[in-house]
Amino acid sequence: MNILAQLIVSGVSVGMVYAVIAFGYQLTFATSKTLNFGQGEALALGALVGLTTINFLIGQAIGTFWAYLLMLPIVLVFGMAQGAVVEWLGVRQAIRMKSEAGWIMATIALGIIFKNLAENIWGRDPLKFPSPLPEQALQIGPVRVQPMEIAIVVGALALMLAVEIFNRTSIFGKAVVATAADRDAAGLMGVNTSLVITFSYALSSLSAAFAGVLVAPVTLTGASMGAVLGLKAFAVAIIGGLSSGIGAIVGGLILGIVETLTGFYISTGYKDVPGLVLLLLVLSLKPSGLFGKATIKKV
Amino acid sequence: MLKVENLVAGYGKVQVLHGISLEVEKGRLVTLIGSNGAGKTTTLRALSGMIKPQSGSIKLGGVEIAGQPSYRITRRGLAHSPENRRVFPTLPVRDNLLLGAFPRLTGARPKGDVKRDLDRMFQMFPRLAERRDQLAGTLSGGEQQMLAMARALMLDPEVLLLDEPSMGLAPRLVEDVFATVARLKEAKVTMLLVEQFAAAALAVADTAYVLENGVVSVSGPAEKLRDDPAVQAAYLGAAH
Repeated sequence: MNILAQLIVSGVSVGMVYAVIAFGYQLTFATSKTLNFGQGEALALGALVGLTTINFLIGQAIGTFWAYLLMLPIVLVFGMAQGAVVEWLGVRQAIRMKSEAGWIMATIALGIIFKNLAENIWGRDPLKFPSPLPEQALQIGPVRVQPMEIAIVVGALALMLAVEIFNRTSIFGKAVVATAADRDAAGLMGVNTSLVITFSYALSSLSAAFAGVLVAPVTLTGASMGAVLGLKAFAVAIIGGLSSGIGAIVGGLILGIVETLTGFYISTGYKDVPGLVLLLLVLSLKPSGLFGKATIKKV
Repeated sequence: MLKVENLVAGYGKVQVLHGISLEVEKGRLVTLIGSNGAGKTTTLRALSGMIKPQSGSIKLGGVEIAGQPSYRITRRGLAHSPENRRVFPTLPVRDNLLLGAFPRLTGARPKGDVKRDLDRMFQMFPRLAERRDQLAGTLSGGEQQMLAMARALMLDPEVLLLDEPSMGLAPRLVEDVFATVARLKEAKVTMLLVEQFAAAALAVADTAYVLENGVVSVSGPAEKLRDDPAVQAAYLGAAH
């Protein structure tokens, strides 16, 4: 029983990382019906930029905790810029030409370019990211939790909540929701919908970069750290539904918990299988996702 | 206020409008009537930038706007209540109205008193006031039409384009819509009204243009067109 509780707690923190990245997929899908398949690379790049920044700050005799907090805004701004570049180079033309598939190849290609770039700057070997919180696990009731695992859950929820509040309360957020609902009609309201799409890409990469610096202290940091995370988060986005924020969280938690359980009770060799089986099940039984609304494609 | 010359527009390779000229003077109500497929909606879509005109000139307050994206045209003061209403179903009524004032709230147009205008809309359309926190997607067709018109008015526009506000509504609600149009006319709102109910549109409008296969076939003062035997035969037969 204790082991089960322990596994679930670990699964939750892994799952929330998936949830944040999946949330990023949803952001661009809502406004433009396109996805950034370079999300994993955006995550790795964010983590690496964060690593360089935090090491620089620690070198300035700032403690690890404060260095981490100071590093966050820099990484978030970097993430936004990176996302805007992806939209500008890879997606804008495809949307303008109403291309059904151009953006898929373009975002994958940009992801590969970013990954190569990262390998050349930071090397191919995984690097250690300084942990801003004590690495010693806390004993809470029957389970042991790393402080960073708690930070991941809190940080992930805070980010999603912040975006939700922005969308609901500010006029710019409402313009984003309007663009998602009906792009032409939003244009008639005076909303520059191309800019909204650029913004959603920026926000999407910001989410990935943020996820990157959240997981970096508990894993290893490197150019290839994002590939598997990006793919699994994509599965989460499909499982939860591409149009539902709560779907990303529930999907992420399901996948995170099932993975840790499989890793322990079956074999770590099969850790990646249940997520993919789940993905296949959802696609065959409820293709719009657990929380998604069925959409009818007009032709 | 709005002057259109030789407007040519269409969809892809299909040309729908073959050189349309019309003018809407400040404070006037102009109506554009014609049968299905004549190009009425296409005209409005070209005016508000939803489609790019192939050639021709559109001047709003003396400034050329042809070919600009719709958000720029809206920021210049042209409001368009589009065909099929196109309210934002996932947003509450109140947010739909605020989005109508987006250029005012973001500094692209003089702000004025948005709050007061919002209250004015709720006075004008009491049904919307009752449903202000309800999602627009849950409103009835008539209520959505009211919302689409109110949303466009929230721009405090120089010119208001209304595309078939009576479409798909029960006869009693059609009367409501035309009563609203008449009230806006009294308030000196400059309007271009596209309608299938030609008789009702001609009864309320100052000037009318009849569109036939993408060209203006007849135009003139509305009361004159009402008495024109050709117009009566073609467009007013069913209504009389």
